[in-house]
Amino acid sequence: MDVQTVIDDVRGGMIPAEIYSDDELFELEKARVFAKSWIFLAHESELPDPGDYVVRQIVADSFIVCRDEDGLVHVLFNMCLHRGMQVCRSEFGNTSHFRCPYHAWTYKNTGELTGVPFHADAYGGDAGLRREGVSLLPAPRVGVYDGLIFASLDPDAPDLDDHLGGFRFYLDFYLAQSSAGPEVSPPQRFRIKANWKIGAENFAGDTYHTPHTHASVVDINLFAAPKARKRKEGALYFADAGGGTTYKLPTADMRENLGSIGYPPEMIDRMEQVWDPAHRLMVGEAGFMPSAATVIPNLSFVHNWPIVNSDGLVVPFISMRQWQPISATETEVLSWFVVDRAAPDWYKAASYKAYLMCFGSSGMFEQDDVENWTSITQMAGGQMARRLNLNSRMGLTRAGETVTEPLDWPAPGRAFAGFGEYNQRDLLGLWCDLLEDSASGTAGDGTPSRVATLD
Amino acid sequence: MPQVEPEQTRRPVPFNGEVYAEVLDFLYREADVLDQRRHEEWLSMLTEDVVYRMPVRSTSAHSLDDSLRTGMAHFDEDRYSLGKRVERFLTEHAWAEDPPSRTRRFVTNARAWEGDAPDELLVTTSVLLFRSRGDIREPDLISAGRRDRLRRTGGTLLLADRLIAVDESVLRTQNLAVFL
Repeated sequence: MDVQTVIDDVRGGMIPAEIYSDDELFELEKARVFAKSWIFLAHESELPDPGDYVVRQIVADSFIVCRDEDGLVHVLFNMCLHRGMQVCRSEFGNTSHFRCPYHAWTYKNTGELTGVPFHADAYGGDAGLRREGVSLLPAPRVGVYDGLIFASLDPDAPDLDDHLGGFRFYLDFYLAQSSAGPEVSPPQRFRIKANWKIGAENFAGDTYHTPHTHASVVDINLFAAPKARKRKEGALYFADAGGGTTYKLPTADMRENLGSIGYPPEMIDRMEQVWDPAHRLMVGEAGFMPSAATVIPNLSFVHNWPIVNSDGLVVPFISMRQWQPISATETEVLSWFVVDRAAPDWYKAASYKAYLMCFGSSGMFEQDDVENWTSITQMAGGQMARRLNLNSRMGLTRAGETVTEPLDWPAPGRAFAGFGEYNQRDLLGLWCDLLEDSASGTAGDGTPSRVATLD
Repeated sequence: MPQVEPEQTRRPVPFNGEVYAEVLDFLYREADVLDQRRHEEWLSMLTEDVVYRMPVRSTSAHSLDDSLRTGMAHFDEDRYSLGKRVERFLTEHAWAEDPPSRTRRFVTNARAWEGDAPDELLVTTSVLLFRSRGDIREPDLISAGRRDRLRRTGGTLLLADRLIAVDESVLRTQNLAVFL
């Protein structure tokens, strides 16, 4: 496989099918995409109290994400400095210290090494092994936006805010509905035999699949209004690190629009307070409501509003999901439910219900999505697939011009109305940039400089 | 925190009695109905106020006690949402189960106790679901413990409440387009 040819084809919107299955390419992705980009780990609300921690992965690297006794969040490589044992082996909890099961080297929840058994006898004290200033390896870079904790394995990564750029504006719709911020649930976790990019692309911009793949949820009247037409009128936006889809709402009034999809007045009041004029304009006058979205490489969002009970109550839900690669052909999905902390209890309960019915391990949308994605991955593994470039050029003429003009767009980035694979191309374009750019603070192949306890 | 094991003071239903046989009959019939995808019939085996939950399981330090999460579930269903899930299977567009999986539910370790109400029983079981899809994929297994509340309604037992304690923290099945 010639990587440059793959990159050139992907940039042209003709995707070599093997990118969804090839092991060699996956090795390159691990070094150049996942070891360089900013990767989501946890939301701050998963760690409300000092001592709280969750253990999360960046591909094969395990990290403890914890809040120390002073309330500061740390992201620590979960490997003992002594013999390399995984220090913390539960997925969540609360502790002031982490003790390695092997020889009991002990670390504070800041990462600092505080306990070494028989320190004097075995090491001659500090003369042999200094404890002060020695710590579990921190992630090279950590950044937070709207409570989303990201890490980058590249010490020279651009600042998170610069990396996210205009996409931050869209994150606010999901994560900043009041000054209280959101509550993020523990994730559902499940493995699917699909390449990680397929879900990421789908959430970034595939409104074209909705009318057919998700026909069943329309058949059973899970939605108050038929979805297909609204899908077509929605805008597909892309801004810096990510892009997403929107639904067109019926009016030019923000309150009316938010009310029409089930937000109660008190939540709308809070959105009015915290959102700046551009946010209000997008949901109000322009009438576009963010739905699914993806930020490069593997974090996606979804926002929808089904009927949650037999009385016909329409309530929105928000979910975040991460496509955590296991191999070229397998992905762990972590799916979180997100709800505004200040929302009334009845709303939180109904929104949770809406989420479970639609997305996650049992969600009636997600079930059918995954059926497609596992099949694509399976098909991409054969010899014939190496002769096939998948057409991802929707919205472009053969001469390379866009079928429609970009919208006059009130928010960051660019947007098109109607169906089109603009966002999927832009997302994979960023993937190409990462694959192509081997220069970074690491040794080019993703090998970081060494860190050791002996100075 | 949800608990599968009932408290020790509860009076057990003896293994050699008629009531226990009736409980087994319900459980085996239910497993068969689900294996055969007779979902509407399954709905008729549930009470109107049924609660059907499968909390997320997480690896926790030291003990299993807090491994069943209270903050998130794979299923947290009532009659409406179970009804919608069944209704969906009956459409022509439920791709997750079209073509349908071949499933077999192995229900074992059944124990029963007197319930909180005179017409109710508490039942715990182990369940292993084998799921084979298509002709290419490896089959999936889902293993779980269950705690059921069965209610006698008009002479027959119906499922009023089910708590499913799945044994995996990360499900190795691509979706839960199946009931346990």
